[in-house]
Amino acid sequence: MHAHRHGHPPRLRRAGPAAVREGLGLVSAGDLTVTNLVTLVGEFVSIRIGLAYFHLGAGVAVALGLALVVFTLSGRRYWRWERIVLGMALFNGLFLLAAILVKPHVGAVARSFDFLPFPGGSFNTLLLLASTIGATVTPWMIFFQQSASADKGMTPSDIKHGRYDTAAGAALAAIFGVGALVAGAALLTHNGSSITVGFPAALGHVAGSTTGAVFALGLIEAGAVAVLTISASTAYAAGECAGVSHSFNNSPRNAVLFYAANIGVAPIAAAVILIPGAPLISIALNANVLATVLLPVSLLFMVMLANDTALMGPWANKRSTNAIGITVIVFVGLCGAAYGIDSFLQVIDLIS
Amino acid sequence: MKDAHQSSGIGEQDPRSPERFEDELVMHLARGQLVAETSRAVPPAALSARTTAGLWALRVFVVLVSLMVIYTFIDPLH
Repeated sequence: MHAHRHGHPPRLRRAGPAAVREGLGLVSAGDLTVTNLVTLVGEFVSIRIGLAYFHLGAGVAVALGLALVVFTLSGRRYWRWERIVLGMALFNGLFLLAAILVKPHVGAVARSFDFLPFPGGSFNTLLLLASTIGATVTPWMIFFQQSASADKGMTPSDIKHGRYDTAAGAALAAIFGVGALVAGAALLTHNGSSITVGFPAALGHVAGSTTGAVFALGLIEAGAVAVLTISASTAYAAGECAGVSHSFNNSPRNAVLFYAANIGVAPIAAAVILIPGAPLISIALNANVLATVLLPVSLLFMVMLANDTALMGPWANKRSTNAIGITVIVFVGLCGAAYGIDSFLQVIDLIS
Repeated sequence: MKDAHQSSGIGEQDPRSPERFEDELVMHLARGQLVAETSRAVPPAALSARTTAGLWALRVFVVLVSLMVIYTFIDPLH
């Protein structure tokens, strides 16, 4: 069966509302909304901590995030939105610059890839592992990519280049992520466990104010880009579930829900960081853990869609792709469940 | 039966082919046409009883573990 069996040109399309309204699709949409909201909180925390280095408060973080969302929506074209976000994402390289500025010992960095457990016992190990997975393989990213591909007007002949883009993005994200880890590791040699100020400020004390400022700007950029894409992902999901127009290429008048969800989800998340004394780091970590726990439902839904030959035509998953996908789902599921169950049993004193 | 895309490979379309022309045409569509061309309703997937039960079990499981994570986060705040 062909993707263009009804005479349409072979364009990339979203699964329509009839599919989304059914069982697992609806659960995935609800799951997506919840995880988007909690992940957005984490991203605002990132902006908040970055701005704190420059003595700017939570109110500025909220205003900056919301202003960016409104500004990127003002062009009414997907291309404009994408170019702004990509332009901002270039500054993710600041983490690499921060890593270079701390002058790391190359041998020590190489030795750190030995996958030994983190210090602090199973609780911290699982918390960091699950949180890192949730911050990397996010549900919003999965659904955002399919919606954005359709909104961009990509065609099957663009799939090859889309895969190159994805691979390049994944590699760059990993490199910049390692940069952030290397820069952060500088604190471990200076009693990092006793950090009482913000992370960039602590880094500034250890490696100089320039390094602290670069890292802080990186945090602001990373949070801002994520706020924009998570808001967009939520808006796409809302539009698809309701079966109404959901495109950056449409005007606000013709896509009311899309624009309302895009702008509306950010203030809800931002309100959390305005709470005085809110445990920001704990919120950010647990938001990502929650995303990891809920992730298997979204991932399984995606694999099922990718195996639907009526929908995917000749681009349906092969066995080898399914094997990789299912392995990832099982691994992510085990990590999330291990942390959830282990931490819960510790909190209720059933294990120590 | 293989279709034209399978036999020729995704990245190997002749730039002069009608399909490639339609792909390029997309970039010149009006805003409303572009939006309408990117969405099509499809019928729900037909799942077996075992698959449906398995999926429900997964949903219940992730909700339970989520509640555990939320409890673990909230408990130390008191």
